[in-house]
Amino acid sequence: MKPKFLSLVFLLLSVLTVVAEPTAGEIAYAQGDYASAVEHWQEQGNRDGLTAPLLSALGNAEWKLGRKGRAVICWERALLLDPRDTVAIAGLRHAQTAGGIERPTASWSENYSAFLRADTWLILAGVSFWGMALCVALPLFSPKNKGAWYQRGLVTFATLLALSLPGLWGSHTSAQRAVVRRADVALRLTPTAQGEPVSGLGEGDIVRTERGFNGHTRVQTAEGKTGWVRSGEVEAIWGGGLPANLDQKAAP
Amino acid sequence: MRNAGFILLALLALLPVRAEDSVSWEITPAVTGPGQPFRLQVRIESDVILGPADRVGKEIKPPRGMALRFSGQIFRSGTTEATLNFSGVSPETEGAYVIPSFNIRFPAKMIRVPEITLNVSGATGFRKDGQARAELELPDRTFYVGERIPGAILLRGSEQEFVSGSFGLECEAEGFSFQLLSDRAQPLDNGQGLLTAFELTPIRTGSSELALNGIMLIQVGVTSAFSSPSRDRPFTFRRRINVEHVPEAGRPANWNGAIGKFLTDTVQLSNLSPEVGEPIRLRAILAGEGNLERIIPPEIIGGENWDIIPATERRRRAEDQRIFAYTLVPRLPGKLLTPEIRLATFDPETRSFNQVVFAPQEVTVTGTAPAKVDLVKVDPGAGANGATTKALAGLAPPQPNLRTALSSPVASIQPLAASKSFWATNVALFTLLSLGLGVVMIMGYLSAHPEILIHYHARRSCHRAVRQARQAAQTQDSAAFARAIVAGLRIGSGALLQAKAQALTYRDILRVLPDAPLALLETLFQTAEGDKFAPRRLDTLLAEPSLALALLAQLEAKL
Repeated sequence: MKPKFLSLVFLLLSVLTVVAEPTAGEIAYAQGDYASAVEHWQEQGNRDGLTAPLLSALGNAEWKLGRKGRAVICWERALLLDPRDTVAIAGLRHAQTAGGIERPTASWSENYSAFLRADTWLILAGVSFWGMALCVALPLFSPKNKGAWYQRGLVTFATLLALSLPGLWGSHTSAQRAVVRRADVALRLTPTAQGEPVSGLGEGDIVRTERGFNGHTRVQTAEGKTGWVRSGEVEAIWGGGLPANLDQKAAP
Repeated sequence: MRNAGFILLALLALLPVRAEDSVSWEITPAVTGPGQPFRLQVRIESDVILGPADRVGKEIKPPRGMALRFSGQIFRSGTTEATLNFSGVSPETEGAYVIPSFNIRFPAKMIRVPEITLNVSGATGFRKDGQARAELELPDRTFYVGERIPGAILLRGSEQEFVSGSFGLECEAEGFSFQLLSDRAQPLDNGQGLLTAFELTPIRTGSSELALNGIMLIQVGVTSAFSSPSRDRPFTFRRRINVEHVPEAGRPANWNGAIGKFLTDTVQLSNLSPEVGEPIRLRAILAGEGNLERIIPPEIIGGENWDIIPATERRRRAEDQRIFAYTLVPRLPGKLLTPEIRLATFDPETRSFNQVVFAPQEVTVTGTAPAKVDLVKVDPGAGANGATTKALAGLAPPQPNLRTALSSPVASIQPLAASKSFWATNVALFTLLSLGLGVVMIMGYLSAHPEILIHYHARRSCHRAVRQARQAAQTQDSAAFARAIVAGLRIGSGALLQAKAQALTYRDILRVLPDAPLALLETLFQTAEGDKFAPRRLDTLLAEPSLALALLAQLEAKL
């Protein structure tokens, strides 16, 4: 009885959140020195790794500095790590309502996938698939062992797999988004430098990305307009850490 | 005769020569003053019948500051000539302005008009006093995202030129929404012109150019036999506009997007003496100039005396006012004051924030207080299970060091789906599982159908018997030949009859191979086993070995 009780207490304690003492970044943020806060938090992220609260805090500081593109990237990546990060959700909502940022309307599958992380959906689908496969295969390997357990397991895993498929699809479509990192980006009709501008995009706007060609990426705006932007003008939400420094020249 | 032939050849040689198109133009007056209307006439002579021109003016890109529109074509059917008239207004500054080359499309062909230069000089003595002219009324200042900017185009006439109408108003601007306030232009107060009112709303920050183009219809007071009493005259405006966000410095927490000059109109209550628990409706009317329709209704706090149920009410566009409606439920009896409604506004002209306050109203609540006051929670946005979601406004306070045991720091946010090892492992496991399942299923099928393996082994035995029989035939060993054939026949027939091969006689072989010659079978069996039961017969087996081998072939075909 006692070991079970202790293990339960340990499990609860491990789930509980832990808030550390205010750091230099938090102090700087509270004092309105957002540039110093950004420096501290970037250094902390490079040293200790990135977490959703750190990224969302960094997004707040970047927004205060007027760097919309970097802020939106931070918030979106924070949501990738924790879809329920309230700071990132509030930041994106504020950016859309007060900041004029345009974000594509999420489809039902994307809203559904926001319940869990994309990796969690994939792991859930993988476990369900292999569990289902084992429930099908094991009775074949040992025909004598045909109890009802494998039927219950098959139904359970099949249900889990069916539930995880919309999440996987929503995660897939959500992953194909990028944030406009430059101000006044022209949405061009053709993937060329002289392509006719058909619309404009502001810094921080989120677009859905499609294929790339000739150093350009085909995107779809929140208004549904499609066109081409230079690939360096947008930054993909997936596949990075801190926002890319566009002012820094690439290594030769 | 020879001369006539030369002349004929010369005429025939000239036939394929195609006459070139001739394009000429004339600007009246040749040199215009700043802002002076002018007429451009383009004359075309071609070698084919031209007919009416199509989509004239679509390709014309007049230089900056110049208005130029296609007025009409002097059309005569069946001729190779065409005359096209354009009306325009020269730019306000002196200089030489080049109208770029453009195409005119006729049914028969497309003709290119070369560049045309218009000289504008202040020495012409032109005065705009008597001319009908268009003026743009738009505030000259920095605008803010979400602001409602009223603007107007004034088409001012004169005693010589009376403005009778306008059409074709176009707005070219990125980052703005443009809306006309009425379908028709309104007459000016002095009766000598028209006014077209519109609204602009910036939707993003930055600097962009606003271009407004249109045409006004003019009635000329003095008419003659050579001039038309009415004409159209284009106008164009280009204005560089800077748009910013409402400054964050000094922005009150309760600013809900109101930009403009507002004032409180009235506060209306549906009932000034309700009972405890009886809902009453409070309507706060905000008036003024600004983006009334974009304001988020301010939240009010009921406190201990009131339960507040927010309600929404659409603003009618014809009214320059906005109504915020709330439902108030008194919780206690007595003389109560309704909650104060405060709204922060931003004045774009003074660049300052102001507070608009709807004063509290006194209400006499009758009845008795309940023993326990239950708060009324009727939130339209609440979920079906009663869970309420509080709307987040502004940035939430960051907590960068918040840690949970379930989330570990990562160096880079890479999706698991992009991991090659993940997919490689899954594919390898899937392959192994598929192979295992395949093996199990094959084995299960074979165990359910044992005749497959029996027939397979029998076929192989027949093959072996044929090979041994051929070797015996080559060595002229008739006994070995017969033994090999008999063994093959027994094994094959045993598989088909599901019987022991060693127990079969040639009669049993006949059940499987009814067409087999009985004499041959007898000879084979006696030769193969004659040593055991009887003296060996003199036979001629090796004279025709193919007959015996054919029996094995027939048997193998049945397996």
